[in-house]
Amino acid sequence: MTVQLLLQGLVNGVGLSMVYILVALGLTLIFSILRIINFAHGEFYMMGGFISYYCTQYLQTNYVLTIIIAFGVVLVAGILVERLIFSRLRANLLAGFIASLGLLWIMQSSAILIFGVVDKEVHGAFDGVVRAFGVVIAKERLFVIACCAGLIACFYLFLRTSRHGIALRAIAQDSDAAALQGVDVNRLSAWAFGIGCAIAAVAGALLAPVYFVSPSMGTLPVIKAFIIIILGGMGSLLGAVYGGFLIGLLESIAPLYFPAASVEMLGFLVVMAVLVVRPQGLFGNA
Amino acid sequence: MPESRSFAATAGFALICVVGLLVPVLTDDQYQLDVAMRVLQLLLLAMSLHLVLSTGRLNLAHISFMGIGAYVAAALTMRFGVPTLPAALVAVAVAAVVALVLGLIILRLAGAYFFLVTFAFLNVVVLFFHSFFEDIFGGASGLIGVPNPDPITLFGNTFTFESRRSLYELTLMVFAVAGALLMRLRYSQFGLMCDAVRQSERVAAAVGVNPLRIKTVAFVTASSIAAVVGTLFAYSQKVVHYADFNIDAMLRLVVFVVVGGVGTIWGVIAGTVVLSLATELLRGLHAYEALAYGIIIVAVMLFLPDGIGGLARRLWEAR
Repeated sequence: MTVQLLLQGLVNGVGLSMVYILVALGLTLIFSILRIINFAHGEFYMMGGFISYYCTQYLQTNYVLTIIIAFGVVLVAGILVERLIFSRLRANLLAGFIASLGLLWIMQSSAILIFGVVDKEVHGAFDGVVRAFGVVIAKERLFVIACCAGLIACFYLFLRTSRHGIALRAIAQDSDAAALQGVDVNRLSAWAFGIGCAIAAVAGALLAPVYFVSPSMGTLPVIKAFIIIILGGMGSLLGAVYGGFLIGLLESIAPLYFPAASVEMLGFLVVMAVLVVRPQGLFGNA
Repeated sequence: MPESRSFAATAGFALICVVGLLVPVLTDDQYQLDVAMRVLQLLLLAMSLHLVLSTGRLNLAHISFMGIGAYVAAALTMRFGVPTLPAALVAVAVAAVVALVLGLIILRLAGAYFFLVTFAFLNVVVLFFHSFFEDIFGGASGLIGVPNPDPITLFGNTFTFESRRSLYELTLMVFAVAGALLMRLRYSQFGLMCDAVRQSERVAAAVGVNPLRIKTVAFVTASSIAAVVGTLFAYSQKVVHYADFNIDAMLRLVVFVVVGGVGTIWGVIAGTVVLSLATELLRGLHAYEALAYGIIIVAVMLFLPDGIGGLARRLWEAR
C-alpha cells in the first residue's frame, strides 16, 4: 500500500513538474534574452486558461484545437506587449520588473471585469482512468503529461538546431556580440517574449480541465516558477527543467508524510541553503 | 551634499510634521484621523523602503518586517501579558535579527536573485503566520482585539491612549523621530555611500566603501523601521492579519515609491501622500482601482522613469 501511495505521488509529481517547467522555461527564456523578470508571466498562463474556457464553452471547438488557439493568441499578445512596453525597458532590471507588475494588475483586473471572480469549470476531452501497477491515473492527466513533454522537447530542439534558436542562445550569451554577427536582436526579443508567454498559456489551457479557471489562477504557478529559477539558476534552461522536477516531486511526495505547510517552509529553507553555497543557483554560471 | 539641500530637507520634513500636528486641530472625525494615521504609517514605510532602494535593491519583503513587528508585539501583549513598550522593543529587535540573518545571505546575490528571494521570503512569512504556532499567532483568523497601549507617565503627566486622537498623536510622534532619522541618513555621508553602491558596487569598493556593509546597514535599519510601523499598526488597528502583509500590500507600496520617483526622497513622500489619499477615495472600485494602478505604473515607467519627483526636478532645472 505504501509503495503504491509513493508511486501515485510520483506520477502526480511528474504531472505537476511538467506544468511548473513550462511556466519556468518561459520565464527564464524571457530573462535570458531581455534581462527582464516578467512578474506578469502567470497572467499569460491565466489567459491560456480563459481562452480554453471561452473556446470550449462558446465556440465548442475541439480540445486540441483550443490549445493551439491559446498558443497562437498569446504568442501575438506577448509580441504586442514586448513591442509596446518591454522593448523600451530591456536590460533595465528595476524598471522592467515594475512595469511587469503594472501589467499584472492590468491583466488580472481586466480578467475580473470580463469574466467575474467565480471559478469556471472547463470540460476536457478525456474521461476515465488508466490503471497500472495499482496506480490510478486520469486520462486527462496522462494527456497533460504527454503534451508538456512533447512541448518541452520541441522547445529544446528549436533552441538547439534551428537558426532562430541558435540566434536566441547567442543573444543570451552576449547580445552585443550577437548583434555584430547580424542577429536582429529587436525582432528576436519580441519573438522570445511571445514564445515564452505562449508556452505558459499552453500550460494554462492544458490544466484548465484539471483545475478551475479563475483570474487569480496564475499567482501560484508563477511563485513556484520563481522558486524553480532561483534554484536552477537564472537564465539556465536546463536548471529550469531540473528545478521543476525537484519542486514538483517534492510537492507531491513530501505531503504524504509531512504537513503541507512544513513542506513549503522546508522548500524555502532548501533554496536559501543552496544560495549560501552557490549564489548563482545550481546550474547558473553568471 | 551641499549644506543648502540638507537644510531644505530638514525644513521640508519639519513642515510635514507641523501639518501633521494641525490635523487633529482641524478635525475630530474618527475616520479622517484614521486615514491620517494610515498615511503617516505608509510614509514611514515608503521612506524606509527608499533607503534600501537607494542602495540599488528593491526589497519585496519590506512589508514582511512590518508584519513581524506587528505579530510579535501583538502576540507578546495578548498571549503573555507583556507591557506595551517592552513588547514593541522586542518585536523590533526580532525583526532586526531576522533582517540581519536574511540580509547576510541575500545581499551578496545579484540584483535579479535579490528580487526573487525577497519575494519568496514574503510568501514564506505569510505562510508562517497562517500555518505555524496557531495558538500564538491565531492561524487563519489572525490576532483580533489588540489592547490599547499602556499609559505612559512623563514628567509627572500621564498620557493614556484610549481615543483615536491620542493614538494619532503617538503615531505622529514616532513618525517625527523615525522620519527625522531617515532624512538625516539620506543627507549624510552614509546616504552618499548608498548612492555610490547603487551606481556601481565595483567603483564604490575601489574608493574604499564596503558595499556589503552599506547594503546590510541600510537593509537592517529599514527593516527595523518597518517593524516599528508594524507595532504602531498593531496597537492602532487592533487586528493583525497576515493578509495585510501579502504581496498586494507590498506592491501597492512599491507603486507609491515608484510613481513618486525613486531618485529623490521628496518624490517618495509626494507619491505616498497623493496615492494613499487617492486609494482612500477610490475604495470600493476594487477591480477598477487595480486597473488604474496598473495603467499608471506602466505609463510612469515608460514616460516618466524618474517619477513625479524627477519630472518636477527637470522642470525646475529647465526653467
